[in-house]
Order: sequence, then structure tokens, then C-alpha cells
Amino acid sequence: MIRYSLSILLMILFALVAQQFIPALTGVYNSRLLLVTLVFLCASVTVGPPVMLALAFICGFLWDAQGALGPPGGDPGVYKYPAESLRFGYSIILYGLIGYLMQGIQPLFREGKWQFSTFLVGVSIFIYLVAEFLIINFVRGDFHFPRATLFQIVFTSVLTMLFSPVVFWILFQIAEKFRYEIRFEGLKKKQRRRRSLA
Amino acid sequence: MRPLNLLAFLLFLWGAVWALTRSERTVREIQRTYYSWLTPFLTGGSALETKARTFLDEVDHSKKLEEELKIIRTDYERLKQVEAHSLEVDAENARLRRALDFQKRMDFKASAAKVIRRQPTTWWQTVEIDRGSESGVAVHQPVVADGGLVGKVDRVGDKLSSVILLTDEACQVSVQVEGTPEVGILSGQRGQYEREPLLRLRFLSAKARISPGTRVFTTGLGGLFPPNVLVGTIESFEPGPLDTEALVRPSVDFTDLGTVFLLPLP
Repeated sequence: MIRYSLSILLMILFALVAQQFIPALTGVYNSRLLLVTLVFLCASVTVGPPVMLALAFICGFLWDAQGALGPPGGDPGVYKYPAESLRFGYSIILYGLIGYLMQGIQPLFREGKWQFSTFLVGVSIFIYLVAEFLIINFVRGDFHFPRATLFQIVFTSVLTMLFSPVVFWILFQIAEKFRYEIRFEGLKKKQRRRRSLA
Repeated sequence: MRPLNLLAFLLFLWGAVWALTRSERTVREIQRTYYSWLTPFLTGGSALETKARTFLDEVDHSKKLEEELKIIRTDYERLKQVEAHSLEVDAENARLRRALDFQKRMDFKASAAKVIRRQPTTWWQTVEIDRGSESGVAVHQPVVADGGLVGKVDRVGDKLSSVILLTDEACQVSVQVEGTPEVGILSGQRGQYEREPLLRLRFLSAKARISPGTRVFTTGLGGLFPPNVLVGTIESFEPGPLDTEALVRPSVDFTDLGTVFLLPLP
């Protein structure tokens, strides 16, 4: 369990470095593969709530450290309506929320139905990005939700979702190496079926 | 809820509240530490990307050469390739001369920086440049390119810095419409991903007499940008009951930012 959790942490750190070199697809509404979020979501369905929350904190913290903007600066007499920045740490909450969402279908995942989790990865990323954009709208005012932004969110979610089977496969390999049982209920069912056939 | 899960949840909440209540200074320190860990990967990756691009260019080049050799196989074609290469060098030379000339034209001392990464985050229009505090870069330093204003420095690391582009909503500039007393605040627009994004110029007077094609320059007010730096040209405008809003086409091609120049703080 500990070795598996640590290897997930290492995987997230690796994803964070790899994320730096994944460009936005400018031809597809600036959509991109969110590798860190993907690894977190796939991992969160394989672990218990305490580990998931720890991962959510780490991912959210590092994500905000990477992207948080600084204060606008300048003379407040001239720049009377600065565009507010999102507070450092908001991603921690969002990661926690989508982590719990993934945990919701853990029973299905443990029965070996990982396809549902793959679909939910896309849904979770969609919710995460919509929530993030709505927060931006809320703190900056002047509500805008252009069609291009919706397409960006949809394409990012789909693109990231398509890569989730690969991450699940890697997680299964790691779990097997460290003898961590992810799909124990599914395995039990299979064993039962084998016994009944015998 | 099991006690362990409840404890984990409470600890998570405490951690989130702790992070949300950090001061701006602490956040900047966290970001500085984060980027100091990441810088070797970023610079290494950037160098690797340049090498890969050069290699691909070479592969592309040799393929073309091979095709041409197959068709004619004469020295004339070889010389044509040399000529093509020379033209390429000429173009590069002209570009560098233009950049040098631009640097000479500036009244103030400008230091050049290379853009190594574009838009690393989902929502913000930013680029990373290969100059940091070790090269004397400071927060809010104005950044320009050959065409005009690019943006300002948002975060400074030791070796790298992040520049928030003019196309982002958070980068506001006090500007004046050429030939008129009209002064307003220019910024990017939320959720705009077109190849040639337009900027939003607000707070012009309700009876503003402006026309499309008029140039827009920085005023120097507000303590962020020096005066008389070209920002763009008026694309269209819409008078309102209280003020007039205009759309401005930026003078800089943001899709082709290779080298930028850092100006001293006003």
C-alpha cells in the first residue's frame, strides 16, 4: 500500500514535469492534454479517501504554484478596475471534489469495470474546467461563456479521457509489482466463477 | 464516515484553508521554489526541442535535396540548394538586423530575451522567457517586440521569467488614441482563441471621435509602461451612453514571438 502510494506520487511528479512540454493545440481551441489531472483522477479511484485527499492537496498545491498570477500592479488611480486573480489554493478544493467524484464509482471499478472510470475521467475534467472558468467569471465579473471556451473545455476533456486507459494500465502494472490489490472484488467474482465451473 | 477518513478530510480542509490564506509574498516564494526545481527540466527540454527541430529541419531539407537529385542530378540543382540556403541565411540576417535596429531605435536600454515556452497554463495568456533575476529582470517590467508592446513580466525566477501577454484580460494598459485626447484602458478579452485576437479598449469618452485604422499608443500613466509605445490600431468602436468601447488589433503578431525585449521599469 505504502509503496503503491509513493509510486503514484512519483508518477504525479513525473507527469508534472512532462506537462511542461505538452503544448496547447492552437488549432483545436487551445485544448490540451491535462496529464497531472489525468494521473490524479486515475489514481484516485484505486486508493482510499485518505490517500486520495493527500494526492488532491499535492496536485492542487503544485498546480497553483505553476499557474497563479501575480498582483496587477500599477497606480490604482489609473487602473481602477484590475482583473482579479484566482487565490492560490483554489485548485486544492477542486481536486478534492473531482477526487471524491471518482471515488463514487470505486465499487464499479473494483469489479473490474474500468470503462466507467475512463468515462468519468472525462466528465470530471469537464466539471473541473467549467468550475474553474465559472470561478474566473465570478471573481472578475462581467459573465462571459464564449462558445470557443466551451469547445476548449470539451476537447480538453475528451483528449485527456482518451489517454486514461494507458494510465490505468500503468497503474495496474505498478499495483501488480507491489502486490497492491486494486480490483479485489472483481478478482473474487472471477475466482467464484472459476470455482463454480470446476 | 470512518474515523480515519474523517480525520483525513479534516486535515485536507485545514491544508486547503492554509493554502488559501497565504499572503502574496509567501505565494511568490512558493512559486520561486517550485520554478527553481523545475528550471533544469525546462531549460533542458527547451534545448532538446531546439535540437529536435533542427534535426527535423535537416531531415526535411535532405529529403527535398534527394528528390531534386533524383529528378535532375546536376550541379545546377546543387547550386540552387546552396542559393536557397543562402537566401535563408539572408532572411535570418535581415531579421536579426531588424531586431538590432529596433534595439538601436529605442530611446531606452532594452535587453533581449528568447521565448522558450508559450501558454503553459489553461486560462492565462503567458509565455516563458530565458531571462530571470540573474539577468536583472524585475516584476512588472514592460516587454516589447519589433512591432510594439507585448506585455509585462509577471513572475521572476532565477533564470526564467513569465510574461503576461497583452492579449490576457489581466494585462491592462493605459493608452491614448493617436491624434485625439481620448485615453482609455486596454486589455485582452476572456476566452478569445482566434489566431489574431482583438484587444478591448474601454473608458473612452461617450462622444469619442475615433476612426478605424487610427493607431493606439501607451500614455505612460499608471507607472507600468513607458509612454509612446505602439500597441495597435483601432479595428471598430461602439459608442455607449456612458463611454465608448473599441476593439484594437494588436501591432505585434503574438503567434510568432521569438525574441522579445525587456524595457527598464518606468
